[in-house]
Amino acid sequence: MSDFLQFSVTGITIGSIYAIVALGFVTIYSVTKVINMAQGEFVMLGGMIMFTFLGIGLNYWLSFLLTILAVMAIGWVMEKAIIQPTKGADPISLIILTIGAAIFIRGVASMIWGKGQVRVPAFTSNEPISIGPATITPQSIWVVLIMLFIVLLLYILIDRTMIGKAFQACSVNPMAARLMGISPARMSSFSFTLSAVLGAIAGLAIAPIMFPAYDTGLMLGIKGFSAAILGGLGSAPGAVLGGLIIGLLESFGAGYISSGLKDAVAFTAILVILLIRPSGILGERNVGKGGL
Amino acid sequence: MKLKGVQQTNWIGVGIFVLIVLIFPFVVTQSFLLNHATFTGIYVIVSLGLGLLMGYAGQISLGQAAFYGVGAYATAIMTTTYGLSPWIGLIFSIAIAALLAYIMGYTMARLSGYYLAMATLAFGIIVHSVLVEWRSVTLGASGFYGIPSINIFGYTITQGIPYYYFVWAFAIIGIIICLNIVHSRVGRALRSIHDSEIASSAMGVETGKYKTQIFVLSAIFAGVAGWLFAHMSYSISPSSFTLDASIIFLAMVVLGGSSSVWGAVLGTVLITMIQVTVHTLGEQFTFITSEFEHVVYGLILVLVIIFMPRGLFPTISSWLNNKMSQRSSETQEKKAS
Repeated sequence: MSDFLQFSVTGITIGSIYAIVALGFVTIYSVTKVINMAQGEFVMLGGMIMFTFLGIGLNYWLSFLLTILAVMAIGWVMEKAIIQPTKGADPISLIILTIGAAIFIRGVASMIWGKGQVRVPAFTSNEPISIGPATITPQSIWVVLIMLFIVLLLYILIDRTMIGKAFQACSVNPMAARLMGISPARMSSFSFTLSAVLGAIAGLAIAPIMFPAYDTGLMLGIKGFSAAILGGLGSAPGAVLGGLIIGLLESFGAGYISSGLKDAVAFTAILVILLIRPSGILGERNVGKGGL
Repeated sequence: MKLKGVQQTNWIGVGIFVLIVLIFPFVVTQSFLLNHATFTGIYVIVSLGLGLLMGYAGQISLGQAAFYGVGAYATAIMTTTYGLSPWIGLIFSIAIAALLAYIMGYTMARLSGYYLAMATLAFGIIVHSVLVEWRSVTLGASGFYGIPSINIFGYTITQGIPYYYFVWAFAIIGIIICLNIVHSRVGRALRSIHDSEIASSAMGVETGKYKTQIFVLSAIFAGVAGWLFAHMSYSISPSSFTLDASIIFLAMVVLGGSSSVWGAVLGTVLITMIQVTVHTLGEQFTFITSEFEHVVYGLILVLVIIFMPRGLFPTISSWLNNKMSQRSSETQEKKAS
């Protein structure tokens, strides 16, 4: 029983990170129909840039803010540099395009920070708290809280503000949105910037637990993509649900079966779920060409 | 009779290509370049299958390295663990890759687009994990070493020029098979699936059957390539069959242009050339480190997609066609005047 609790805690922590990454995928996908394979690199950059700011002696929360701004700028530049010029390319080319960007960012990161892991201190003290038979590090609680905060924030932003309405309009019908005076190009730019912010926050939250290195973005990106697909591409609640499911599967797989097979367990389960629901758990029933 | 819209195989093009392949070892004598050329042949076989899958059936696979790995491991187990002939290994490489693809294709027939991409990605990661973890059969992360060479009519195919020709013979057979499929009824059916699955099934094309068949065929191609790879490299380990490898295969097809068989070939040659060039430069200039290689590689991928979204081959061939038609219209104008 204590094992079960411990695995659940680990699963929910890592699952929350996957959920944030998946929300980044969904944010970009719903407006631009692009799957941004560089989403995981935003997470990596969040941790790495934080490390650099702390290294030059800046205050913790100032560094936190500056890191978000820096990654946000990178997201904005990326959209301007590679997505704007390729309007109308077919989705498979766009996947390769963002994979190319991811390889590029990863290469630059390994040139700047080397290949080792970096350490970033936790938000608050790192004394584990025991709750019943399980122990939780305060950072894990922060991760879950941040995930919930982001969900709330996105809900308010998308559902309760004018820019959110414009965002939704673009995702439903870009042509009609354009006729109403909304610029899909600006919304595309906005979605990348927003999604970079989400990635940076995920990176900042997980850095004290995971010790980021130049290549952590790859697997985080894949898990986030899996979560977005599992939940049903384009569905924000689905992304959160998918992230938590993958986190838990992985944690139980590592705990009860073997840590080497944790990815195999998680991905086998994803395959089985997709067999039963070919458009994800909360996806629309009729997906046509599956987003392509 | 020549029907409009029916494409035919350009045998002159095939002939020129065969000639280039034949002459290459006489022109380029450095052994490491020949080695890379041999690997290129192996990758061409994988990307041909993937190109058919993507460009003609409109399916995407992010797990092609899994079939490639299964092909390599099947023959390694048969020849090294059980001491059988590599030719029996080939049968197993093809059979196991095809069987897995059939199961995948059959069960995943309801998936499409990004959901299919996800399924193939998951499949690739599962196969890689199994290769690492099933230590009693696959020997874990260190993999096999001492895989025997291939014998044909009592003649051992050694590394270097013999293996180069051996691999490219398979690659050229693969190209011819693909060209024949593409220019047949099946090819037209596949293209119709690529454009609209609903419309083609309404016209009586059995879309599910064709999709599964082409998936199996692409896996067989990858399996054969894996077989060639295992017997060429003497040792294999799971690190050659990761997600990165799948992505490189995908990049080869997209760079070259998935709407053409030659696109896959061109893309493969090009990516290998980029890798070799950056690597060789890295040996000469110390500031070009292995990290820098990735930066350049990523940059080239991005630039090609931005400037040639349809891939290199279609862009180049339409540019050439335009030039030719311009010239012929110019001469006609001169005659008229």
